[in-house]
This record gives sequence, C-alpha cells and structure tokens, in this order.
Amino acid sequence: MAGAAHPEAMAPRKKGPTRTAPPMMPSSWWSAPRIRIYLLFGATGLVYLLAGFLILRLAWALGSNPMAWQSAFDGLSNPLYVIFHLILLVSVLGVGIRAFVRMMPKMQPRGGPLPVLPPAVVRGAICGLWAGITLFMVLVLSGAIF
Amino acid sequence: MKQLLLKIEPIIWLLFGAGLSIGTMLLTGFVLVVGLAIPLGWVPADALDYERAHALASNLIGRLFLLGLIALPLWKGAHHLRSISLDFGGESRDGAVGSLLYLLAAAGSVAGIVAVIRI
Repeated sequence: MAGAAHPEAMAPRKKGPTRTAPPMMPSSWWSAPRIRIYLLFGATGLVYLLAGFLILRLAWALGSNPMAWQSAFDGLSNPLYVIFHLILLVSVLGVGIRAFVRMMPKMQPRGGPLPVLPPAVVRGAICGLWAGITLFMVLVLSGAIF
Repeated sequence: MKQLLLKIEPIIWLLFGAGLSIGTMLLTGFVLVVGLAIPLGWVPADALDYERAHALASNLIGRLFLLGLIALPLWKGAHHLRSISLDFGGESRDGAVGSLLYLLAAAGSVAGIVAVIRI
C-alpha cells in the first residue's frame, strides 16, 4: 500500500498569491457569434470615450463666448461628425438593449430586503425610464419645451 | 499600480455602472438631436443658438445634465476598453493600461466640472 501523499508536495517554494491562469481569448473568437457580440459591446467603450470628449469640447466652447460655441456647433455638420454620431447612436442603442432589456432584469439582488420582481416588470420599468428621458431630452434640445 | 486599481475597484465599478445606465439614457436623446437632427436639418439650428444653449446649461439642473453627459460616458468607455485589453491577453500590461484609461477619464471629468462651472 502506498504511503499517504504529502499535502505540501506540490506547493511552490515561496508563498505568494494564488496562481490562476490569466484570462485568454480563444484563438477562434472571430468565428463565435457570442464572443463577437460581447466584443462589440466592449468596443462601444471607445465610442463612449470619444463622445464624452466631444461633449466636453462643446461645453467648453459654450462657456467661452458665442463665437466659440457657434464654431463648435457648426462643426457638427461635418460629414465625419455625422458618421460618428450615427455610430454613437447604434452603440447607444446596442448598449441599451443589451443592458436594459437582456442583462438588468436578470441581475436583481436576491436574498435582500427588496422583493425580486418578474423580469418583464423590471424590463418595462427600465425601458420606460429610458424612453421617458430620451423623449424629454429630445423635446428640450429641439426647442419644443422650455 | 495593480494593488491601487484593486483598491479603487468599487468606485470604478460605480462610475462604470452609472456610465452604462445613466450615460446611455442621457446620450440617446442628445445624439438624436445635437448629433443628427440639427446637423441634418431636421430641427432648426436656432433651437440651440448661443442664448438658448447658455440658458439651458447655466442653471443647476442643466449643469448636472451636462456634467453627466461628459463624465459618465468617459468612465464607461475607460472601463470597457480596459476589459477589452484584458481579453486580448493584456494581463501583464493591465496596470499601465488601466491607469492610463482611468487617468484619462478622471482628467476629462475634472475638465467637465470646470467646463460646466465656466458656463
């Protein structure tokens, strides 16, 4: 009968943090639709980052003088900006649909003081809020109200 | 640097989550009108001439909306780009990439605060 295995036989010589394999993308990621969609969701980060800086530029111009604002605002008619804004719209809608319609209804905390609501109720509430804020902003920015 | 990033992880996630949810909700209406409808002539450009844009953005609620439109997408963007970098084997460079992206978002957010105060 073999002797009992020594529990420290495979231990590293020096103690350190737990060694786990770093996350690695499979080499066939481009052929897997789920991974492609996941990566597109992540890639919207670049679009959001650029959008944040673009709006910063507009806000800075608004705080400077009327000419700076008019110049920055007129620049938005450049076809490159229009194309970027189309990409931004697609990104925003993609993120919203993935986050508000698919993810958040499943992400309710369980075991807490709040009841777990049916996913359809959560989905409806979040999408209703999204539509409401969007409508409000469209009406305000287009001059229909205020 | 990795240790610092781990310590501030809850704050990063809070800002990322706000960027993902509130940022998306704010950006939709903004891009529809300012990014597309006005440049394409569907809405008259004087809807946001200087006087009106200034009046909308110079009160407290307007400033908060504008700051949310600037800062929240920056944090969502920074965190998502960091996770993309990690997915493509960026474990060894994660400290540098994460720090750079969060510094960019932080600098943009501070500039955003200054920008809305200047209005």
